[in-house]
Amino acid sequence: MWFPASVLTSTLIIIFFLLGYPVVTTLVSGPVKPGWAKTHVKPAVKTAFFVSLIPLFLFVNEGVEVVIASWNWMNTMTFDVGISLKFDHYSLIFTPVALYVSWAIMEFAMWYMQDDPHMDQFFKYLLIFLIAMIVLVTANNLFQLFIGWEGVGIMSFLLIGWWSSRADANTAALQAVVYNRVGDIGLIFALAWMVTNLNSWEMQQVFVTVEGFNVTPPALGLVLAAAGKSAQFGLHPWLPSAMEGPTPVSALLHSSTMVVAGIFLLIRMSPLLEKSPTALTVCLCLGALTALFTACCALTHNDLKKVIAFSTSSQLGLMMVTIGLNQPQLAFLHICMHAFFKAMLFLCSGSIIHSLGGEQDIRKMGAIQRQTPWTSSCFTIGSLALTGMPFLAGFFSKDAIIEAMTTSHLNAWALILTLIATAFTAVYSLRLIYFVVMVNPRSMAISPIGEGDPQLINPLKRLAWGSILAGLCITLNVLPFKTPVMSMPPVLKLIAVIVTVLGFLTALWLIAPLGARTQTTLSPNMHRFTSMLGFYPALVHRATPKLSLVWGQTAADQMIDQNWLEQVGPKATVTLNKPLITTTSNIQQGITKTHLTLFLLALILVVSMIIF
Amino acid sequence: MAGVGFRRWAQALSRGKGSGLSALLPGYRAASGGSKADLPSSYPLTPEAKAAAAKKYNMRVDDYKPYPDQGEGYGDYPKLPDTSQQERDPWYQWDHPDLRRNWGEPMHWNFDIFTRNRVDTSPTVVSWSTMCKQLFGFIGFMLFMFYLGEKYPAYQPVAPKQYPYNNLYLEKGGDPEKQPEEVVNYKI
Repeated sequence: MWFPASVLTSTLIIIFFLLGYPVVTTLVSGPVKPGWAKTHVKPAVKTAFFVSLIPLFLFVNEGVEVVIASWNWMNTMTFDVGISLKFDHYSLIFTPVALYVSWAIMEFAMWYMQDDPHMDQFFKYLLIFLIAMIVLVTANNLFQLFIGWEGVGIMSFLLIGWWSSRADANTAALQAVVYNRVGDIGLIFALAWMVTNLNSWEMQQVFVTVEGFNVTPPALGLVLAAAGKSAQFGLHPWLPSAMEGPTPVSALLHSSTMVVAGIFLLIRMSPLLEKSPTALTVCLCLGALTALFTACCALTHNDLKKVIAFSTSSQLGLMMVTIGLNQPQLAFLHICMHAFFKAMLFLCSGSIIHSLGGEQDIRKMGAIQRQTPWTSSCFTIGSLALTGMPFLAGFFSKDAIIEAMTTSHLNAWALILTLIATAFTAVYSLRLIYFVVMVNPRSMAISPIGEGDPQLINPLKRLAWGSILAGLCITLNVLPFKTPVMSMPPVLKLIAVIVTVLGFLTALWLIAPLGARTQTTLSPNMHRFTSMLGFYPALVHRATPKLSLVWGQTAADQMIDQNWLEQVGPKATVTLNKPLITTTSNIQQGITKTHLTLFLLALILVVSMIIF
Repeated sequence: MAGVGFRRWAQALSRGKGSGLSALLPGYRAASGGSKADLPSSYPLTPEAKAAAAKKYNMRVDDYKPYPDQGEGYGDYPKLPDTSQQERDPWYQWDHPDLRRNWGEPMHWNFDIFTRNRVDTSPTVVSWSTMCKQLFGFIGFMLFMFYLGEKYPAYQPVAPKQYPYNNLYLEKGGDPEKQPEEVVNYKI
């Protein structure tokens, strides 16, 4: 069948129009009509999802590798920047996944945010975010990607700080912006390196012309950017703090779409990254450390949303490990699977929190499976998918990643950390299911528990179907780019399942009746270390701002005020002129002796000039 | 408004003392802002000056302590303790609840550093040195282990190992009288 490449571009433009039109309608003067979110936003996202399936099906059916559409935008004598859209396996699969998840979250948000007086503005922000995200994933040059990158960062700031009267929310939003900005230093450095060495930001040209260059500096810049955006260790505290935002924000931005932008950047730039073994090793080690550290933190926290946030960070670490293994396609597969079940976990947590009157502590939940069967079931399915339960969505990606790890030549400690993190995933997942859904109820006796609203149930059902079937659908229709290792010892083949089962057994042993053990915690020091997030925020969030603000104040006071505006300016005038004035006026006192001395000096000077 | 101003101006003109333009200024402007006496002044040298400064800043004389006079320009501004707003009682009904501050309270010279969004000086569960030791100890341990992991990587062998002496035939209990089969797992 003749495949018109323009169909892909046209469908993307239609998607931008569908998402942009509701935003444009808010620019007219006067408030929007009541129910604007229900009549404009949700249908727009739903339609955009179905439209995005057209290019996906065409692409898969035709077996095309990539389609690029380019327009001239800015041209100088030596450097051109264009608008170019890349339709390849990554962008064409991610767009429908993101829109499907967004559709579910928008519908959920209509229930969750129904009492909010600025609900329409909330949906507008979500739409703008979605547009920025699609710009990011379809970008074929780094400048366009950077536009989407900054767009999602700004919307994240606005949405985390939605309840702006809460100081904690404002602090969390500020944290997100500052940590992302630190990561942006790396991306801007990479952009600068490319423009000075390769004279282009177009990805195809970069990959071709980079031969012969030492690509480690820009690669490390890209890794820094990904570490900031995807909350890797060192730049990770903003993600758990971002749970201050409303649950739909956490579900859409901070689990499925925005946080994976860093990993997506590395996937896009993987041809560059694979030329730098140093960068790949850094990815591997950083990802493994993040995966384990955040999994440990999830074991000891009691805030439901925070545990899911740490779980997200741990999975992002796993994706970074996969990049370090030079398996970008597997990382992308995990991004897609993770989007479904993590969004579902967040929606379930939102439903539970609303049902219990705003309670987020898992120690004050329990036994909600009869009152909220849909939520409990979806929560369990999501948790099992997260642990890699065979044949759910998470299994297809996670199992493949662990297999790739165990059959590769890699850092042994990174391997050990990742396996331990996988086990811990099972531990905290079972811990969540146990405390939230099972055992005896520990919540208030009278709570508005209920899930009769279809705007709550239907999104959960859709995401549940995605968590069950997405893995199978995607892996059956997409060929792997790199040949996987086909033969391995049975232990290595089953290691992911073995480690997960060990994690479950450990969790069961830990939640056994207290009579079986004498302590509530195995190690108080380690418990305190992980519950305080390794003391990282306590140290960094106090020392760094204080040093920089005090130094800034000192620089303003002493360098600018006292030095430039006093010593160098007015006081320098005094310092320089006063000796001259004193000398001149001392000479001209009207004393005859002084005059005669000066006359003699002048005479000697003139005579010596005449003689010599 | 214009009528009131015009009437006031006409009255000021009829008094014959100048143009009377100042009468055009509406009265509420005069009440906005502080007077010159409320502004910070020079370093207080006498106990009376200290008492006056304390009164100006709504402080008790015992609590009032100015910055040292080292030419940095602080004047008589009080040196307040370096504690952040986060340390203040969250349940008290402050005039400004987000800033945890009451109206008229003296502001720290670096108040913008100590708001709730910025530096937090509230006491930590563990001492600063313990936190540093544990965090940097953890990071150092991880870096060391990653170094060892790079030195001794994990990998799957692609062929069985090749031992010397005909794959250690005698050591593995082979018959010394018999001629062993040559075992070659791989050639380099």
